[in-house]
Amino acid sequence: MTSRLLVHGKVDEFVGRLLKSAEVIAPHRTPGGDLLYASVDTAADVSWDPGIPMESLKRFLMPQRETILQFSKNGKMSVSAVYDDKPKVFLAARCCDVTGVSVLDAMFGGTYQDPYYLMRRGQSTFIALTCQQPDTNCFCVCGDAGPFLKKGYDQQWTWLPEGMLVEIGSEQGQRLADAHADLLVPAELEHIKRRHQLAKEAEGRFGDFRAYVAGAMRKLSMEEVESEVWEQLADHCVDCGGCAFLCPTCSCFTTTDRFDGAEGIRERHWDACSYSCYAREASGHNPRAHRKTRLHARFFHKLSHQWAQRNARHACVCCGRCLTTCLAWAHMPAAAEAIRRGAMK
Amino acid sequence: MAEIATTCPYCGCGCGLYLHVADGQVTGVTPSRSHPVSQGRLCLKGWHAHELMDNPTRLTKPLVRRDGELREASWEEAREAVRAGLQQALAQGGSHSIGILGSARCANEDNYVLARFARGVLGTPNLDCSLRTGEPLTSGEIGDLDRSDLIVLVCNDPNEEHPAVSARIYRARQRSAGLIVISTRRHALARLADVHLSLRPGAEGHTLAGLTRLIVDSTEADGEIEAVRRSVPAISPEEVEKAAGVPAEELRRAARRYLESAQVTLVYSSALTLSPSATAAVSALADLSALARAQVGPQVSLLALASRNNLQGSLDMGVSPDMLPGYASLEDDTAAGRLTGVWGDGLCHEQGLSAWQMLGQVRALYVMGDDLLRAAADPGAVQEALSGLDFLVVQDLFLGPVARLAHVVLPAAAFGERDGTFTSLEGRVQRVRQAVPPPGEAREDWRIIAEVSAALGRPMSYQSSEDVFSEIADLIPIYQGLNYHALETPGGVRWPGRAAEAAALFAWQGAPQPVTLNGAGPQVTEQYPMLLLADPTLGPWDEETTIASTLTVSVEFALVGKDYPSGMLCLNPEDAKRLGLRSGRNARVTSSRGEGTMRVQVTEEAPPGIALTPWWQAARLGLLETVACPDTDRPVLGPTPVAVAPA
Repeated sequence: MTSRLLVHGKVDEFVGRLLKSAEVIAPHRTPGGDLLYASVDTAADVSWDPGIPMESLKRFLMPQRETILQFSKNGKMSVSAVYDDKPKVFLAARCCDVTGVSVLDAMFGGTYQDPYYLMRRGQSTFIALTCQQPDTNCFCVCGDAGPFLKKGYDQQWTWLPEGMLVEIGSEQGQRLADAHADLLVPAELEHIKRRHQLAKEAEGRFGDFRAYVAGAMRKLSMEEVESEVWEQLADHCVDCGGCAFLCPTCSCFTTTDRFDGAEGIRERHWDACSYSCYAREASGHNPRAHRKTRLHARFFHKLSHQWAQRNARHACVCCGRCLTTCLAWAHMPAAAEAIRRGAMK
Repeated sequence: MAEIATTCPYCGCGCGLYLHVADGQVTGVTPSRSHPVSQGRLCLKGWHAHELMDNPTRLTKPLVRRDGELREASWEEAREAVRAGLQQALAQGGSHSIGILGSARCANEDNYVLARFARGVLGTPNLDCSLRTGEPLTSGEIGDLDRSDLIVLVCNDPNEEHPAVSARIYRARQRSAGLIVISTRRHALARLADVHLSLRPGAEGHTLAGLTRLIVDSTEADGEIEAVRRSVPAISPEEVEKAAGVPAEELRRAARRYLESAQVTLVYSSALTLSPSATAAVSALADLSALARAQVGPQVSLLALASRNNLQGSLDMGVSPDMLPGYASLEDDTAAGRLTGVWGDGLCHEQGLSAWQMLGQVRALYVMGDDLLRAAADPGAVQEALSGLDFLVVQDLFLGPVARLAHVVLPAAAFGERDGTFTSLEGRVQRVRQAVPPPGEAREDWRIIAEVSAALGRPMSYQSSEDVFSEIADLIPIYQGLNYHALETPGGVRWPGRAAEAAALFAWQGAPQPVTLNGAGPQVTEQYPMLLLADPTLGPWDEETTIASTLTVSVEFALVGKDYPSGMLCLNPEDAKRLGLRSGRNARVTSSRGEGTMRVQVTEEAPPGIALTPWWQAARLGLLETVACPDTDRPVLGPTPVAVAPA
C-alpha cells in the first residue's frame, strides 16, 4: 500500500468530510489549556499541538460509565442489550494509544467476547499521528509503541514541511484514502526519507524517564521479585486508581443494576485492581487484602511473559500517564526499576 | 464536545477536573493537568465525583412530614411549610430561638445567601457549620511543598485526608527533601520519614512545645525572638519523653534536622484541631512561624488543611457565630453598614451560638448540607436533640440521617448541576460549572433559600449564581474585584495573595502565641493499662454522606464498616501477642464509661500500648471520654484509658 500526501490547506477539508459520516475523536485544547481527546464538532476544534492528551482512547471504546442492558418486568421479563454502534474515527491518535487498543482487543476479543467493546471497535478507524516532540513523561521508545508506528494503524499521518504524509496500514485505511482520493497526491521518495529522518530525530528528544521493562519482565515472569519490593511499593501507593483509569490497556470493570419500579438498567463502570475491594469475595474473604499483593497482581498483568504471550505484547505502551497521575510513586518507571534492582531507590 | 471544567467537591485541596457529558448523563471524570493543584492527578474520591449526578438515591422532590411520615410535596407546599414553621418559631421564641447550619461542602453563593438569610432576614446570630474548627486559616499554599527542603507533618495523614498534598510530599522525597512526621499512628508517610515522633495521644502540645523550645534555645539572639522565648514553656526533651513517650534523642534529631533546613512547610489538618491539646499545639506552630520571621531557623510556611472542599469558603462567607461575612468583627460598624446597605435593615450582629451550643438551646433548626450527626462525638445525644426540635428543615442531596429527622426536606443540586464557586484550603476561589440539570425538582441551595426568604416577605433579587457572586465581591473585601470572568483560568484566584485585607487575618501566624500546657492527656492505670485513640485520620471518608451514596466508591469506603461492624481495634503485634489476640478476633474493651466488643486488626501502625480505632466508629461505641474543643465548644473524643481482653 502506497503512501500519499495531504497537502497543507486540505487537512481541514479532509477532517470536515470525516465529520459528515462519523464521530471524530481527536485531541482538543480546552480553554483551560489541557489537551484531551474529545468528540469534535468542527475541524477547528482539533489541536495539532505536540504532547500527550491527558487520557487515552479507552474512554471512547469503553466509557467510565455506560448502560449495557435495559430490562423491564411489565408482564413478562424482557432484557435488551444497549450498543453504541456510531461509526468513530480516531484522528491524530497518539501511537502509544493506538498500540494500546491492540491489548484491549486481546482482552475483549479473545476467549470471552465483549459485545459492547467489539461493537464500538468494529465501527472504529484509527488515524495515528506520529510524535515528533515527545511529552515530558513519555518513554514509548522503551515499549515499541512510538513515537512512529510500524503497524497497528489504519492510517499514520506525519507532518512534513510539504503537508501531511499519509501512510496506509490496513484495507480500512486504504478505503478511506480512496474515498478522498481527490484530496491526496502520491508521496515522493523524498517524503518517505524525510519521515524516517524525523523518526530518528524524535527518538533523541525523550526526557529523563525510562522503564527498562525487559529485566523487570524476566524477574516478574520467573516470580523472582523480592517481597520487599512489593512492600516498598505499597508504601508508595495510595489506591487512587488513576494509573488504571488513564492506562490505555487497563480494562477492569464492575457492573451495577439500577431499578425504577418494573424498569431497570445494568451499568458498567471502570474499576481498578489496586482497589482493596476489587478482589474481595462475597464471603468477606479477600485474596488481595494487602496492597502489596494487589500491586504484584497489577505489575504481573502488565509485564509478565505469561500475559505478554496472550496479548502478543506486554501491556505497557509507555505513554507515561501513570507517572503524571500517580499520587505517590508507584508508577511504571518506578516499579520497573524497583523490580529490576530488587529495591526502590 | 462535552467536557466541563470544574472543581472537585470532596476535600479542601481543590483539584481541577473535567466532567464528561454524553446524552445528558455525566459519564466520567478526567483530571486537569494544567490545574495548579491537581496537575493531572485525582484521588479515589475525585475519580468518581461524577457518581453524585444521575444517582438513583438522590432527592428529587421536596418532602413534608405529615402524620409522622415524610411525604412528597410540591415546592409551593414545602415552602409554605417552611414559612409557617419559621414564623411560628419567631412568634413563640423570637429570632434567637432559630439556629442555622451552613455547609463546608456547598458553594460560596449558597453559604453567603444563607448568612444573609440568618443575620439579615431572620435576625438570628446562631449561624455555624459543624465542621468549623479553631484555626483553619492558612497563609501557605500547596505549592510551598515543592519549594521546601523539609516537610513536617503534624498529626495528619494526607494519604487518607488530602491525597493531592501527598503527591507533593512523595515528589519532594524524590528530590531528597526531608520529612518529619509527628503522629501517633505509624502510617505510610511516617514509615518513609527521616524522623517519626510517635507521640502518646493528648501530648501533641508537649511534643510541639518541646520541639519549638529546642529550636528557640539554639540561638543566643535576642530582640524579636525574646517574645517567642517567653511564649514557649521551658520544657526539656526528657520532660517531653516522659509526657509524650517520644524519645528525647529523636526530638533532638528532629530539631537538628529542622535547623539544618532552609525552607520548611509545616502541615496540619483538622485532625490536629480535634486533639484536646490542639490550642497549645497550634500555638507552638505559630511560634515556629514567628521565629522564622525573626530570622531564626528556616523560612516557614504553615499549611492548615481544611477537611472539606468549601470549609474555607463557608468561613469567608461568614458562616460562623463569631463574625460577619469577610471575617469582619461583630463590632465593626463599617462592615455592618456595608451589609445593611444591601441587605436592608435588621442586621443581627450579636454573638451567636455554635453548632454544638445550638443543640438543646434553639427550638427550630435550618440545615443546609451539613452532616451534624457524622461530626458528633455522641451521635445518640445529637439525634435526641434534633428529634426534640419544634421544627427542623434540611436541604441536601440525599436523605441522610439528619434529613430523616426533618419536618421538611428540600432537594438540592449537586456540584455538577449548578454554577458557583468553592474556596480551597489555600484560599483558591475556583469555579464550579453546570454539566447537567439537577434531577427532578432539585435546585441550587442559594435559590431555595432566596425562595424561602421571599415567602417570609423578604425577597432577594438574584437571578443567577453569578448575581450572588457579584454581591459577594461587592460586600466582602477579600473577594473584592473578583468575578466569574476573572476566575476562568485553571486554579482560579487565591485571595490570600491579593487582598490587602488578607494580611491582617494571618497576623497570628507571625506573632508569638503563648503555649499553655494543661497536662499531657489521660494516664493509663493498672485497671486500664492501654490508651484508646479515636483516630480522625483513619478512614476519614468512610461514612461521609456524599461518599456513601456513590455507586462504586462507596464499596471501597464501606469496607471497614463491613469487616469490622462492631468497630475496628488496631493493636500493635506486641500487644496482640501479650493479650492473646489475632486479627479478626473479637476483643472486649472496657473503659470507665462502659464496655464494648470490637474486632481486632493487628498492625504495626499502632504503637505499643496504644489502640487505635477510626473516629467515626468510636463515636458509636460510647467508650471514650468527650472533651469540648475550646474554640467551638464542639464535643470531641479524647484518648481514653482502656482494658483490652479476648472476648
